[in-house]
Amino acid sequence: MEALLSRSRQLRRPASRLCWSCSRQLGAQARRTYASAASQPDIYDVVCVGGGPAGLSLLTALRSNPATAGLRVALVEAQDLAKTRDWKLHPDRFSNRCSSLTPSSANFLNRIGAWDHLARERVQPYHEMQVWDGVTDARIEFDWDTPSTGRTIAYMTENLNLTSGLLRRMDGIGGTDVFDKVKVENITLGEDKDDLDLTQWPVVHLSGGKQLAARLLVGADGANSPVRAFAEIESRGWDYDRHGVVATLEMEDEGWGGHDMKIAYQRFLPTGPVAMLPMPGRYATMVWSTTPRNAALLKSLPAKDFLAMVNAAFRLRTVDLEFMHTMESGQAEELLWRLQHTHVNHQSVPQTVVGVQEGSVASFPLKLRHADTYIGERVALVGDAAHTTHPLAGQGLNAGQGDVESLARAIEYSVLHGQDLGTRMSLEAYNSERYAANHVLLGVVDKLHKLYSVESGPLVPLRSFGLNAVNAMRPLKNFFMEQAAGKGAKLF
Amino acid sequence: MVARPSTALLLRRLRGLTPALRRRPESFVTGRYTAPYLVNRDCCRPFSSTGSGSPSDNAHQSTSDPNFTTVSPDEVSHFNALASSWWDPHGPSRILHLMNPLRHDFIRMCRNSVLDAPSTTGLTYLDIGCGGGIFAESAARLPGTKSVTAIDPSPEVLNIARGHARRDPSLRNKLQYLNTPIEQLTATIFKQDPQQQQQPQQPQYDVVSVFEVLEHVSSPAQFLDQCAPFVKPGGWLVMSTIARTWLSWFTTNLMAEDVLRIVPRGTHDWQKYVNEEELRGHFMAGRSGQWAEPRCMGVIYVPGVGWREVRGSEKVGNYFFAVRKTAEEE
Repeated sequence: MEALLSRSRQLRRPASRLCWSCSRQLGAQARRTYASAASQPDIYDVVCVGGGPAGLSLLTALRSNPATAGLRVALVEAQDLAKTRDWKLHPDRFSNRCSSLTPSSANFLNRIGAWDHLARERVQPYHEMQVWDGVTDARIEFDWDTPSTGRTIAYMTENLNLTSGLLRRMDGIGGTDVFDKVKVENITLGEDKDDLDLTQWPVVHLSGGKQLAARLLVGADGANSPVRAFAEIESRGWDYDRHGVVATLEMEDEGWGGHDMKIAYQRFLPTGPVAMLPMPGRYATMVWSTTPRNAALLKSLPAKDFLAMVNAAFRLRTVDLEFMHTMESGQAEELLWRLQHTHVNHQSVPQTVVGVQEGSVASFPLKLRHADTYIGERVALVGDAAHTTHPLAGQGLNAGQGDVESLARAIEYSVLHGQDLGTRMSLEAYNSERYAANHVLLGVVDKLHKLYSVESGPLVPLRSFGLNAVNAMRPLKNFFMEQAAGKGAKLF
Repeated sequence: MVARPSTALLLRRLRGLTPALRRRPESFVTGRYTAPYLVNRDCCRPFSSTGSGSPSDNAHQSTSDPNFTTVSPDEVSHFNALASSWWDPHGPSRILHLMNPLRHDFIRMCRNSVLDAPSTTGLTYLDIGCGGGIFAESAARLPGTKSVTAIDPSPEVLNIARGHARRDPSLRNKLQYLNTPIEQLTATIFKQDPQQQQQPQQPQYDVVSVFEVLEHVSSPAQFLDQCAPFVKPGGWLVMSTIARTWLSWFTTNLMAEDVLRIVPRGTHDWQKYVNEEELRGHFMAGRSGQWAEPRCMGVIYVPGVGWREVRGSEKVGNYFFAVRKTAEEE
């Protein structure tokens, strides 16, 4: 099948010998004639809706694997991908939407040839994690046994750096029909016409009249996935009544470990965790999960008071911090006064934040969602379309990469064994592999959030005892680190 | 079951051809389990004798008789009844769907196991007893496949197969279904192809597959002799069936059909199962000189896990068997 389809594609598009833009124009012409011949849908093996990290890495994985390179694939994206492709920022400006890529995600991106296309000078590996309880100060230090080797726990990466790198890699291989700046107007089932019965094939209707019939329709289209709605798959969960406040910050220096030993910090406050994650040089990115009211205040503060709140979040007692959230202004002076009465071990908290990049303070609501299943007949969901998690473990994007890796493997197996890659039967392995793994992740993250929301009572000493105990037990700690790094036995 | 005279006659004749048959029951059927099933050896169907009461099922029947067929009418009606659920992934054929990838692994293993590097493109397949087309469709989808011809004597099942193939545009021009028993295949192809009518040639294929069929035909040896001419010299005849042991009776009849109900009742007739050494003997001793490179792979179905290759399990349950054609029959 693939050979047949790919032959017809090669006739229409000698993509390998032409640059991307030329071949795209050629493709567009050919498509027009194809479409005008009859109002029949164009037939694809894989149609991926959504050009975010999950969708782009899926198509790149399929195109870069010789076994699946013969498949006819298409990408549908509402945004203008040229903007992502040409994304560029000044070396000391950083986007506020960053993710922590585990070594396992990075290895996958490397295998599909995308890692080299990221702006590597903008990627910051970190080698140590400091996590502590804001109420009791019980602490756990995650570092590898042999700190001298500087083993990487994860790589801090701007999401746009990742997507633009993936796009460049995808463009480089060619062979993906890209439909961007188009809306998905409708998804229907195909028709039974002449010698072809497409009544079980999803047909994606694009604005402008184009129709794409999909052997497999992949929903990489985010939390409000239209593909999921088409497949009538329920997504269940709850809102945390918390917002994640993000910002790109400038620190007084490169961090306590210097250039080669970067540290990530996370403090569990009763309102939610606040995390400071290192970016290249003196920069860091912050994710502060807090109540919608606190988030609104933080966003409204002038830079000087905002910085005071961030520094306070890692240093002050929780009651003091709570009080500062009730002030309408003057946080900077308040912090100076309160710090005189607070004992802080400076080396165990992030260095002082001295600047915030203009326009980088933003917030988004936090929720937990999990689709009942990731597959239907000729439908698969990946990434946020399948699951949304609290950012406290920094695993959202990695879970999506895990989905993609697993789905690409299921598709490869189908192609090598002549199975119809879109059927439920062929997708079962993907669903069983990823549903269980993500279910554990979502559950653990959810319980952690709830556990640390408690301010007093018997749970507080218990959780501190737990944290201290884990900190004292090297094998258990290593286990958690292997999990965070996406190595070891794959639980998450 | 009462042994008929013709059966006994044929038995004697065949035992001369297939010495392996004589060793059959002792090694695996031991102890008290032997009693109900194998106490009288003639009561269980020998490899090449008749199994059903079909009138065409006769040792003296000549293959030149146009009405001769190894197809068993009871079997045809059983599979007709299953036709509509053939492609339901959670229906009665689920276990067959799950087995299908292993068939390709086995064929790949066979083709890669010989030294003269086989071509990986332009392959032609003949799938005998294709049923709803699980294997035929998948073979046609493989990039190296030029064409697949798939035949089955059951018209209802074949209608399902044709209807299902229409759902996949990539199967057009690659997959052809013919409603014919193997005995009339050549005639059917000649009728279709005007070129063949002028210069008739024996149609031959790189891979001739006979999956889960041997245990359903009424005389396996004659049936295999009918299949043999369709294999290209250098090509493979690939089959799969179930070993006839007390354990296979326990797993495929009692457990799979009656207790767990993962296979429709009445699918298997234990007495029709064929042992690996019987097949080996048939090709290597009985048809010596024409066949070489016998290959075998035993597989076991583990509920919740799927099919797994288990070395040595060809002696007790489901297995694949293949031989390569070295020369034409004289």
